Amino acid sequence: MSSLLLAALLAAAPPPDPTALLQRAEKTVLGENAVYTLRMEVQRPNKPPRVVEMKGWKKGDDKGLLRYTGPPKERGTAYLRVAASTWLWLPSAEKVVRVGAKQNFGGGDFSNGDIFRLSLSRDYLATLGGAETVEGQECWRLELKARDRSVAYDRVLFWVRQDGTDFPVRAEYYTISGRKLKWLTFTDVGRLGARARPRALVMENALESGQRTELHFLSIDDAPRLEDRLFTTSALERGE
Amino acid sequence: MRRGILLVVLLALLPAPAGARELELGLENFYYGTATTLLNAGNVLGLSPHEDLLRGTLRWREGLGDSVRLVASAYVQRRLGAHAETEWKARQAYAQWSGGELVTVRAGRQRIAWGSGFAWNPTNRVETPKNPLNTSLEQEGALAVRLDMVPSAWAGVTLVAARSDVRGQDLPFSAPQPRRRTGAVRARFLVRDTDLAVVVSGGKGQRSLVGLDLARTLGAVAVHAEGAVYRGAEMEPARDDDHFLRLATGLLWTRGEHLTLTAEYFFNGEGYGDAQREEWLRLLRGSSAVLADPLAPPEARAAAARLYAATADVPFTGGLGLGRHYVQGAWSSRFSAGRWTTNLRAVCALGDGSLALTPGVEWAPRGDLTLTVDAITLLGPEESEFRLAPLRSALQARLKVHF
Repeated sequence: MSSLLLAALLAAAPPPDPTALLQRAEKTVLGENAVYTLRMEVQRPNKPPRVVEMKGWKKGDDKGLLRYTGPPKERGTAYLRVAASTWLWLPSAEKVVRVGAKQNFGGGDFSNGDIFRLSLSRDYLATLGGAETVEGQECWRLELKARDRSVAYDRVLFWVRQDGTDFPVRAEYYTISGRKLKWLTFTDVGRLGARARPRALVMENALESGQRTELHFLSIDDAPRLEDRLFTTSALERGE
Repeated sequence: MRRGILLVVLLALLPAPAGARELELGLENFYYGTATTLLNAGNVLGLSPHEDLLRGTLRWREGLGDSVRLVASAYVQRRLGAHAETEWKARQAYAQWSGGELVTVRAGRQRIAWGSGFAWNPTNRVETPKNPLNTSLEQEGALAVRLDMVPSAWAGVTLVAARSDVRGQDLPFSAPQPRRRTGAVRARFLVRDTDLAVVVSGGKGQRSLVGLDLARTLGAVAVHAEGAVYRGAEMEPARDDDHFLRLATGLLWTRGEHLTLTAEYFFNGEGYGDAQREEWLRLLRGSSAVLADPLAPPEARAAAARLYAATADVPFTGGLGLGRHYVQGAWSSRFSAGRWTTNLRAVCALGDGSLALTPGVEWAPRGDLTLTVDAITLLGPEESEFRLAPLRSALQARLKVHF
């Protein structure tokens, strides 16, 4: 009875503002500032998975830093993103190298832009595409159109749960010609840090069957004090 | 030196908190096929046709709390050719202290490693130059004190006082090794998604320079331009009143997860043009002919030996080569989920068409083990720059275990 009532209320509710919904949804995994650890698993057909562990720092919508903490041979490698710029620290060469935002991140299916695009609502214009059931969840479908050509994808479809959590459920990424490149699923909803959230992101390659990369958040601190100076190439060189 | 390295080994064996220590042990074998060329006239360097270096290497990094880090990198090397000898060498050994995000101080033997250039860094005359033919080699550090200050997220300043060797030492023979003392300032800015750095350096045993370094990303391509202007040449003749420009500019392009391409052009303003090069070759030929003549008077032979040593040394001066125009391209491809990486590097001296090719492969079967093998082949017309080198080919194998 209560679920029928809830469904009736949702059906009667006015459609949400798409930009505000997108802004709320993208903050549900990582908030405004965060320090987190994660495990990335790159899966390829007929190959054992490649597993990398990292520690990350995020400040606002335009600053991010990720350091590899394992396996031992990759430890120390680090990525820094500030606005549209991305740098890579190569510990073996002891050198900072600029890299493109569209470059694949860590040899997996996420691009640097996917990992560090900290504000979808800033890079894309959102419109409401309707209500759909995706992954067993009642969702709003948002259609995102790139504001300019600097971002990795021309169009993104983005599904957000209607149950009031604003958790994202799925995203699909398309080229300018309309070809689907890959899709992202937000899974393993549960408590991590101070609140519940999707704890795993799974990116699947639409062009290469069986290729997927999983990101599993292991810990998240949502209220760290982070200085802007942490997000500089000097900090990359210095190490943690 | 030997005692210092043993001390590092002992420290590395002590227990450490989880995540505070990084340790890497390696075994390297470098094979060199040598040649008697104008730069090794009559085999003046005393090389065997086949020279081998066998190395054991150690890299150790240890964090002490949040603000102190100790770093050491060293090797013990045994030459197996005509002059078998064992050598201990610390490439790096420094302590680092960080005062929050604002200031970092490093003291000891260390890499400076600034500049956006890949194979050439005209703004970095602080440390021992890298070998542009073989950038996979681990570089020597400079004995230095370095202070990094970050007053804001968009600006930083680095001050360095250093003493370093002028030439790299990854050669199968001993070369004269003059030293220089350097003071350097590098101011770095991030302006509209563009890296901009201004460098001023100078000191004893070197020229003073002013440098500018620019880098930014254009879509999938990262581009850079790093240049320096200075007065007086590093190579002979000194040309004390002339101003020279060095410039390295290039790009890095990545496609998908597999493929990385880099290309870079280097202009060395003090490098030799055709006429200077012919004169240099004439001096080499003339002095080596006198040295080879058993009937030459002793005074003439002594004078020829001095002239030959000074002339043969020119391409190694500053570690940047003999000519003016160079290009390098590199291709790298990863496959099998990153377990295999294949590489190909090519450096071309545009003045004479000589070419250094370096194909290589890396195998990483586990997260703590890598095996790298690469080869170097020097091609080009006789008496072209790379063919004058006393090396014809090299094969380098490295096994590294990470803890």
